[in-house]
Amino acid sequence: MKKLVRNPILVFFSLFQPIIFLLLFTQLFSNLGRFIGSGTLSYTTFATAGIVLQNAFSSAFQSGTAVVDDIKSGFLAKMLATPVNRSAILFGRLLSDVFRVVAQTIIILVLAFALGVYPATGFIGYLLVIFTVAFFGLAWSGISLALGLKTKSAETVFGIAGALTFPLLFMSTALVSQGFMPSWMQTVSSYNPISYAVNAIRVLIITGYDWSTILQAYGVIAGIGVVTLGATLYLFRKVVS
Amino acid sequence: MPGIIDVSQLVKTYGDGTKAVKGITFSVNEGEFFGFLGPNGAGKSTTIKILTTLLQKTSGSASVAGLNVDSDAAKIRKIIGVQNQDTVVDEDLTGRENLVLQGQLQQMHGPAIKERVDDLLKIVDLTDAADKRAGFYSGGMKKRLDLATTLVHNPKILFLDEPTTGLDPQSRAAIWAYLKQLNEQGITIFITTQYLEEVDRLCRRLAIVDLGEIVAQGTPGDLKQEIGADSISLGFENSSMNGGDTKIKARQVLEQKFDGVSNVVDSDVGLTVYAKNGSYMVPELVRAFDEAHIRLSTIGVSSPTLDDVFLKHTGKRIRVEEVSSANSRGMFGRRRR
Repeated sequence: MKKLVRNPILVFFSLFQPIIFLLLFTQLFSNLGRFIGSGTLSYTTFATAGIVLQNAFSSAFQSGTAVVDDIKSGFLAKMLATPVNRSAILFGRLLSDVFRVVAQTIIILVLAFALGVYPATGFIGYLLVIFTVAFFGLAWSGISLALGLKTKSAETVFGIAGALTFPLLFMSTALVSQGFMPSWMQTVSSYNPISYAVNAIRVLIITGYDWSTILQAYGVIAGIGVVTLGATLYLFRKVVS
Repeated sequence: MPGIIDVSQLVKTYGDGTKAVKGITFSVNEGEFFGFLGPNGAGKSTTIKILTTLLQKTSGSASVAGLNVDSDAAKIRKIIGVQNQDTVVDEDLTGRENLVLQGQLQQMHGPAIKERVDDLLKIVDLTDAADKRAGFYSGGMKKRLDLATTLVHNPKILFLDEPTTGLDPQSRAAIWAYLKQLNEQGITIFITTQYLEEVDRLCRRLAIVDLGEIVAQGTPGDLKQEIGADSISLGFENSSMNGGDTKIKARQVLEQKFDGVSNVVDSDVGLTVYAKNGSYMVPELVRAFDEAHIRLSTIGVSSPTLDDVFLKHTGKRIRVEEVSSANSRGMFGRRRR
């Protein structure tokens, strides 16, 4: 399925928050930043990984509302009445979501570069960052797609997304280093999948190819992906038949 | 001879136990313009969904162009065009892009799509607006575009669920004109609608469903003749005030004094009486009601219409919802990604 992305406005507005974070938040905490996470590096450099992931996080939740929209508007039914392969409809949806996340990530990384964030691993490292974000976005989209297919209500998807976003992000290493957290939160953070994904992106930006961190993240993301996309596939079949 | 659509003892029971379709049997011949009518919730949309492979039946059999809806679903999808109740066009794309996308969904390739799209734009009079985004189209234009998307792959059979509901009269007439044209080119049309006048004019045959069962089928002419009588609609003064009292009293009068009456049905304002030579009966009716102290507010005689057929078989008048939810959604353009 070919789905054209002709909605620059949407891409822009969903980027609004991460850009605000990137520009203002990092400035606000620039002095504090060394203390809460970045050490000798600029806080912007430290937080870029978190902001990239935060964007992927909220972007992924748009997939669920989009699929609700497709069901409600009859667009899904219309596609189902054509010879198009069933799974192609779902993959097309996921692919366009991944495409969006990649486009947004590139914009954020370019902006970060302008603010002086130079990746330790260079251009190739950034490609790997983008791949990691896309991979995470794919797995995370599964949650919102499954929710959308199950509840068929955009409000519910939004509500759950909103409820999840801040606890998961703040109790992860997205914006502060683990050492800065109270000990109970450190525990939560080390079980928080967001931390794994953030850490992988962060080492690519700051340290270099730390494969154990990166592969650990891929393992966690793959685990999430299997569960969420499995649930999505199951629910999609139910909706389709 | 088997029809292009054959349905036998079709049953659909939903997961929650609702019996939407309770064993219907009908068949549509190739090239026919077939009307499928019924009040809301009668099982029309469920039947269409089963025939267009969007929903699995519970039991019975259904085939489209000789293909089984369960085992040959993929083949059926290639030869049918489906227009759902909701207008579905991608508002971020232009009219032309919408059609091309649909062509790709129908697995058409290369120059064949371009040519076909140009033709279709001409057919539905959208050539001038072809390169504007569909989000800027009026309700009628969107509906026409939606209709065009169902035709991209030259389907043999068109399934249309309420294609003109919520449109202004002019757009409605335009859609019906296209459908007539398409049917004349040999496309079989299976349509549900609330506009009985158009059905009467265009449909060769029709079936009326109510509560999941077929209550009547035949040509519009036959069905009207079956009523065999003119309809006299009576309105009573205060009929709503004394509950159903006036109606009951009036029914008694009709029963006692008029042999020619074949049927009496409740209507919104009073009663509808079916009788041969209705116009001759009017003076007698007036006199009889006067004697019984029943005050008439209106009286009208008409030869049978499909409305009467519908009323007789379902006990309801068909209601046209001028602005349906589907339409209001279309007006506040939804964005799709």
